[in-house]
Amino acid sequence: MSMLEVDRLTVAFPAPAGPERAVRDVSFELERGETLGIVGESGCGKSMTALALMGLLPEGTDTQGGITLNGRDLRTLDEEAMCRVRGNAIAMVFQEPMTSLNPVRAIGKQVVEPLMLHLGLDRGQAKVETLSLLERVGLVDPRRFYAAYPHQLSGGQRQRAMIAMALSCRPEVLIADEPTTALDVTVQGQILDLIRDAVGESRMSLILISHDLGVIAETVDRVIVMYGGAVVEQGPTWDVFTRLAHPYTRGLFAAMPRLGEGRRRLRTIPGTVPELADLPTGCTFADRCSLARETCHSQPPDMRPVGESHSAACLRLDAATATPSFGSRR
Amino acid sequence: MNAFRQPNFLALALRRGNFLLGGVLAGLVALLALVSLAWTPHSAYELDIANKLNPPSPTHWLGTDHFGRDVASMIMVGARNSLLVGFVAVGTGLAVGVFLGLWASARRGWVEELIMRFSDFAFAFPAILSAIMITAILGPGAVNSILAIGIFNVPVFARVTRGSANAIWAREFVLAARAAGKGHARITLEHVLPNILGVVVVQATIFFAIAILAEAALSYLGLGTQPPHPSWGRMLNEAQTFLHLSPHLVLFPGLAVVISVLGFNMLGDGLRDLLDPRLSRTRLAGYPR
Repeated sequence: MSMLEVDRLTVAFPAPAGPERAVRDVSFELERGETLGIVGESGCGKSMTALALMGLLPEGTDTQGGITLNGRDLRTLDEEAMCRVRGNAIAMVFQEPMTSLNPVRAIGKQVVEPLMLHLGLDRGQAKVETLSLLERVGLVDPRRFYAAYPHQLSGGQRQRAMIAMALSCRPEVLIADEPTTALDVTVQGQILDLIRDAVGESRMSLILISHDLGVIAETVDRVIVMYGGAVVEQGPTWDVFTRLAHPYTRGLFAAMPRLGEGRRRLRTIPGTVPELADLPTGCTFADRCSLARETCHSQPPDMRPVGESHSAACLRLDAATATPSFGSRR
Repeated sequence: MNAFRQPNFLALALRRGNFLLGGVLAGLVALLALVSLAWTPHSAYELDIANKLNPPSPTHWLGTDHFGRDVASMIMVGARNSLLVGFVAVGTGLAVGVFLGLWASARRGWVEELIMRFSDFAFAFPAILSAIMITAILGPGAVNSILAIGIFNVPVFARVTRGSANAIWAREFVLAARAAGKGHARITLEHVLPNILGVVVVQATIFFAIAILAEAALSYLGLGTQPPHPSWGRMLNEAQTFLHLSPHLVLFPGLAVVISVLGFNMLGDGLRDLLDPRLSRTRLAGYPR
């Protein structure tokens, strides 16, 4: 049995036009020490999947399916029990380091709190632990940072502090939701290195959510590609990125700007993501897919194997893998 | 290596004009009230009909009223009365109102609905009217007027607290705190309350001033502090008969009200600025970002 098992997770928000299904039948497994990437464009359900794992979806959200951590079904836990899981067994790093720290509390205090809450350390022990954590995430001279307020730190320094907070209780799963998106490229690399090292050192599992294929490729063992709230392709990172089985994955790759191709318009995938309240009956990507046939619009595709532990949800897999390049030029 | 410079509260306070002036004015009123406990130039209660309606003089600094009582002494004892009303009324509002507001914001749903509809109901009556109603039911007097003003303050603080707390609950650092495993009560105490403290403190000082005004108004109407205890409001009421004869009788208690209201308002303004740590725009120079 895997450490974390997500079984047909579906998240729906009530809306006037009918429930908006932001996440549909997402299933995956995560082993101890494994790193998993979730990739997709804005609004594809990446962050909602992460919040569902944490049990932090807004009230009134309809969540279906199972989330099992070490054999314990998190969906059945009450709020109090869930509080003991959050920050302790599963920790999360958010996208915006500028807004995810409390502006009126010193950094040190904010890192100390989860230590006292989950590990039962007293203030003195927690402070010692916090200082070593701050040092470990690269905030040298931790005593200064302990007393500093968030506004006195740069974006990179704040994200380091957030990571220190997330790592403090040695979680089994670390969820990083676009941890580097708000940072500039040089800092991005440092933060990714930090996350990778921390995960590697303590045999933690990582779920890295990003829209950046480069970040995903550098960091994770296995990748899930999401589109319109559902998984369209999943497999080992190398296989997914070399085989590009699903037309959408191909589109994502084609849309990446590359150096040395001269100045030209960037490739895009035509159209926009489907309305969540009014999803098509067939493949959700069919309207934007150049390989789509009649059947694609009427028949929902199921996951089909395309390699060892590599699968994709497309009715036209043969045609997709046969085409050398995909994506349209506008 | 230089450290993050944490601002010195006192140094910052001295640089803010409104805080300083407000502090001096409010401090002056507080000082008068404190001194009156031990000493007043004359008795505030003793009648001296022979020396009634005297203008200010070396013996009676601010003159005497129509019973020959020393106005300076009455203002000092009246300050005690006004401050007591301010403290108790704002204290009631803070203790009950802030608690209700935080509770409404943390629980949402029917709890919030109930608390907020209750305060809407309380707001439907003009403040002075509800104070008159309460004193009409309980009878006039210093304690009842304090109670009336205090009850009016509860929905005021509940509403302000709930409004600003809701804005904090929507912030990302609250989500991050929840992701760190903190429960609603802990988030309220560690994250919501510190972030709305500035708003609440400002509200408290402003309603302190309003409470002083309200007490003066109730006493002016004869519903507040009863004779022979001096109160600024009643002094003003009694003085209007002699407005042409002895204008100083209106001037000095009126000034006392103005100075204390102005002082507490400015203090509140200055305090709000000081309580915000983002004001200290210090960054560490020469550290790689």
